[in-house]
Amino acid sequence: MNHLQGNVDDFGMDTISLAGPLEAKLKAVREAGFSQIMLSARDIVGHPDGLDAAVRAVRASGLRVTGFQVLRDFEGLSGHLHDYKVDIAKAMLEMCAALGSKILLVCSSTSQHASQDLDVIAKDLRKLAMLAIPLGIKVAYEGLSWGRTINEFTAAWEVVSRADVPNLGIGLDSFHMFATQSSLDDLELLDPEKIFLVQLADFMWQEIRSVEERMSTARHFRVFPGEGVHSQALAELVQRLHALGYRGDYSFEVFNDDYQQIPLPVVARRARRSAQWLGEEVLRRSVPLPNQIRLKQRAAG
Amino acid sequence: MTTVNTTDRESIAEISNPLGMEGIEFIEYATSRPQALGQVLETMGFRPIARHRSREVLLYRQGDIHVIVNAHAEGGGATRDENPVIAAIALRVRDAAAAYRRALERGAWAVPVHVEVMELNIPAVHGPGTSRVYFVDRYKEFSIYDVDFVPIPSVEQHPPAVTGLHFFGLVQYIGNDRSEDWTDFYRELFGFTALPADQRFGILPKGRILRSPCPPGATFYLQLIEPEPSVLELENNECFQRVGLGTPDVLATVAELRHRGVSFIESGRIHSEDKGALTQTSLGSVSFELVHHTRD
Repeated sequence: MNHLQGNVDDFGMDTISLAGPLEAKLKAVREAGFSQIMLSARDIVGHPDGLDAAVRAVRASGLRVTGFQVLRDFEGLSGHLHDYKVDIAKAMLEMCAALGSKILLVCSSTSQHASQDLDVIAKDLRKLAMLAIPLGIKVAYEGLSWGRTINEFTAAWEVVSRADVPNLGIGLDSFHMFATQSSLDDLELLDPEKIFLVQLADFMWQEIRSVEERMSTARHFRVFPGEGVHSQALAELVQRLHALGYRGDYSFEVFNDDYQQIPLPVVARRARRSAQWLGEEVLRRSVPLPNQIRLKQRAAG
Repeated sequence: MTTVNTTDRESIAEISNPLGMEGIEFIEYATSRPQALGQVLETMGFRPIARHRSREVLLYRQGDIHVIVNAHAEGGGATRDENPVIAAIALRVRDAAAAYRRALERGAWAVPVHVEVMELNIPAVHGPGTSRVYFVDRYKEFSIYDVDFVPIPSVEQHPPAVTGLHFFGLVQYIGNDRSEDWTDFYRELFGFTALPADQRFGILPKGRILRSPCPPGATFYLQLIEPEPSVLELENNECFQRVGLGTPDVLATVAELRHRGVSFIESGRIHSEDKGALTQTSLGSVSFELVHHTRD
């Protein structure tokens, strides 16, 4: 591993940015020089040769699985709706474990049928985390900017804190944070050990005026960090998370209709450029070089 | 003025043992070599006393300790494994159905049951690895073994425990940085509590110890042990690893078991002493730890 590769290894691509079959996505991401990939359930269940073949392809790729997405509208339901969602969650957890993914991403509920009581939400998340424990999976709870009750990372943190389970933390998505213009100062509230995943994306407009525009932008017009107009804010976000003590993964959560119709290696190269910018110019996490290890230890002591 | 909620005052006992747990009913090994495991158990003082009605399953007993050896290929999740594994533990609880429902409500995974006619449907949830945790509430007036097992003729049905051996606990191997997860799992679903770091038993004090919520005299412990920090993460490395047996006199028990053919580890760091002892591993995976402990 050279110094350059070390810094880029903190970043990964997400299959949702790419068209085509799972194997082609894995190949493009690996050949662009990434070492990790965020997977969607759709990649796995949609595999023409079935779940086991998809799992084998992922394992054979040599890529580390950043996380598995996404469980939606889980929390706050009651009765048969709750039981139904628990069954869905268990199926997602089993796939997540089969893939060797340590993280399941859960997005805050948009459902009108869900309770808005924070204690009920926390109780359900606690149950979900408990289901994940025997499988060795951590649950990253993310506040969707159009979530009905939980729509900012501060609110997500509040319920994660109330649930108080070691394997339940939060997932941050820069898109949602910028869309709701959440204050980055509030990152100081977070325990960096409980940030289980950070997803990064840029977008092309300065501001988003309505919830409808927010949803359509999020689902169709995101770009890689550095390609949009929020590069400065993204750089600040990454630096603040580093200062806070976050040392986990960054995944590019880039939903983009154009990227769905250009060759995979072209998209992956754009992602790679983004990772190089963030890794080399913005984050610059230290990578142990042989002649620096002693210095690092002395500094730490 | 602060309102005092008087109903909370009396709920403390309820919370501390939410399932009405009263100990361990049995430990179940899954193995493809039931006779070899049976020999190991017999040197440890267990006696085979009954056979399952429909499956290749034997019940061993000494004193109040029950061990089930399951060689039924389909039933035991891990029987294809050459080495025996601890496939299940059964908890004695006040109301098995209620305990099961409570665990499921809080995020346990139900184990689907496949019972034959006239057999007991014993509810179970998933434990570490491929293991199960059963809930049993029939252990006073009559026992589950009366229904599912047929006594082996002319065998003493209640062989006494060797030198006062009793069930003390289980060691569970867990993954890196998993102590907090498993501590919460056992607390939330079963009511276990973590002991302070300086409270240890026996000669292998590593890891974290959880105490069952059982009343004095029936209490047992779970010891969670992570890999050494230098060990790389392995997948599927979580399991119940060994059984701990309590004895009022460890060295007397060691002498008696040696006489019966059990070998103990006697190295510089780990050796038989007043506090405890560890048997050498048999069949690639089976060992027993002795711990100085008297029943209250």
